[in-house]
Amino acid sequence: MSAEPRLLSRWLRANWQGVSRPVLALAAAFLAGGLLVWALGSNPFTTYAQLLRGGLDGWPNIAVTLQATTPLVFTGLAVAFAFRGGLWNIGVEGQMLFGALAAGIVGYAVHLPAPLHVIASLAAAAIAGSLWAAIPGLLRAYLNVNELVLSIMLNSIALYLTSFVASRLLKAPGPTNKLPDILPTAQLGQFTMYSQLNAGFFIAIALVIIVLAFNTLTRRGFEFKMLGLSPRFAHYGGLRVRSSMVQVMLISGAIAGLGGAEQTLGVYRAYFDGFSPGYGFDGIAVAMLSNNHPLGVLASAFLFGALNSGSSVLQMTTNVTKDLVKVLQAIVILMLAAQYFGLFRFRLGRPRSAAAAPELTQVSELSQVTPANEGS
Amino acid sequence: MLLGLIFATIRISTPLIFAALGGLLTFQAGMLNIALDGFMLIGAFTAIWIASVTGSLALGILAAAFAGTLTALLFGLFNLKLKAHIFIAGIAVNLLASGLTALLLKGILNQNGVFSSSSIPTFPRIDIPGISSIPILRETVNGHTLLVYVAFLLIPVVSYALYHTKWGLRVRSVGEAEDAALTAGVPVFWLKLQTMLLSGVLCGIGGAYLSLGYVSLFSRDMTNDRGLIAMAALFFARGDPARTAVVAVLFGAAQAVTVQLQQSAGIAPQLIQTIPYLVTVVALILVGIQTSRAFGAHRGERFDV
Repeated sequence: MSAEPRLLSRWLRANWQGVSRPVLALAAAFLAGGLLVWALGSNPFTTYAQLLRGGLDGWPNIAVTLQATTPLVFTGLAVAFAFRGGLWNIGVEGQMLFGALAAGIVGYAVHLPAPLHVIASLAAAAIAGSLWAAIPGLLRAYLNVNELVLSIMLNSIALYLTSFVASRLLKAPGPTNKLPDILPTAQLGQFTMYSQLNAGFFIAIALVIIVLAFNTLTRRGFEFKMLGLSPRFAHYGGLRVRSSMVQVMLISGAIAGLGGAEQTLGVYRAYFDGFSPGYGFDGIAVAMLSNNHPLGVLASAFLFGALNSGSSVLQMTTNVTKDLVKVLQAIVILMLAAQYFGLFRFRLGRPRSAAAAPELTQVSELSQVTPANEGS
Repeated sequence: MLLGLIFATIRISTPLIFAALGGLLTFQAGMLNIALDGFMLIGAFTAIWIASVTGSLALGILAAAFAGTLTALLFGLFNLKLKAHIFIAGIAVNLLASGLTALLLKGILNQNGVFSSSSIPTFPRIDIPGISSIPILRETVNGHTLLVYVAFLLIPVVSYALYHTKWGLRVRSVGEAEDAALTAGVPVFWLKLQTMLLSGVLCGIGGAYLSLGYVSLFSRDMTNDRGLIAMAALFFARGDPARTAVVAVLFGAAQAVTVQLQQSAGIAPQLIQTIPYLVTVVALILVGIQTSRAFGAHRGERFDV
């Protein structure tokens, strides 16, 4: 019993950066958001209280929160997995869209018995997400194309291509741009009357545990971490850097694709054009807040899920809209992207030359900063 | 029909040109600025807000330029002082702009998705004395609003500033070899910040054109990725002002064609809308092939892009 506080304090000392930075970023976001709410003529304290109550008060609200949490767990996990491996996978939105589309197609066009049909649809989604992620992965690994700019462009391309499929190519008859409804055999079961929370939530939890085990227990998981911290070192350590990069992207894309499947098979029961309000971008905030740790992803996804579901309640009662959460997320990303904000990062009396040291980011050689080593 | 298409192309290209000129200034200083979209959105909102309150177009445009500059200042300081990764910070700024303008749309203007009002002043169409009597130019180049001409006149101005002034030389030296520029005593930080702020000014005005000139309303996320398309244009043209403008006009033409096709059905508009993005992907790949050839693809592993 007496060892516990000491363990805790030792853990805190070792992980101070990992704990203090997200807490500071959240504090800054809520402070700035509070000022904004106040400037708009509402009381920030009651607004935040309402936000939390709307997200967490009673099972009906929690059911909505968990539904909102689920896609963020998938996208956050996908982004975090890539970040940890040193790859800026900002293309999660597009990978998720293709995953959702593939699940939607297999879900309505293929006839299979119940459990197999779900599995086949999930597999199709994972493969579709992987394939879309393979484009930036391969180009990054073998041609040194900047995967960040590329995946931003691929997001937009994915949006238009999936929209083309849903509104023209395979459009279901009727006024809405969607594919035909998936067959009942492909549905992920819903289990509450208060929200579209479905079995996909447990897939998300399972994925968190799998990724956690992979990261901490397997050799490959360690190698990916090494790749993220220093690809050069990983190369000298005997790792096949290029194919590992591709593998990281493939896995990240597969997770994102599964996230899309959860939406199609569990929530909407058909692929709807433009169903995503930007889950892939939310995933960036979730991943950055989590310090790329799977359990952190779960926690931050729940936080943003609660804020998102709470904000729909807020919208009905005050003139503060859901977009407050978007602003909070943006500030969190901005604060965590900054490298000199952690408590012990400010080196006072830094020599002037160091203060003016050239940025690594250049247009020709875009960046040596990788997501995994940037923050630590 | 063709003349109408050219007229529409000029109109549609204008915001792209503003944003692309802003983006290429930072590009020349070594920063690929993906927050153009956010700057524009903030500009578009501020312009229509101030213009509808004061009834003055000039104040609306000024306020938009100022708001764009402030956003650029925030972005610049986070990137240059706090060393935030430029793309991650850029995504955050775009997200912030999208959320903030939507929040303010409800909070200040009390509208949920779209703000439009009769108190918004409109730009008069300009008749250019010489051109208004020439047959083809009369239907295409003549009769646009003020900011359209400003955008196209800015192309040679930016080009001159970059290639014929000391300031431009220094900016380009920062972009080409930052270490060398720093050693030579060039104030790298200030120059980068200056290009970033100018980028904010130009994008802010581009946003003002979007909400006050192109249409007379503000809607959520009304920039529709125009900042990203502008970035695609300047990236493809490698930051040369004239070529960037040509590419921006081509993208504008593709969009104008899409609008026409939508009216007459036929080819799916979504496929045409992917063109700017596909062009950027191709450009990125070409750059990648060139650099990996230059370094010898198999002579050594280069992992840092």
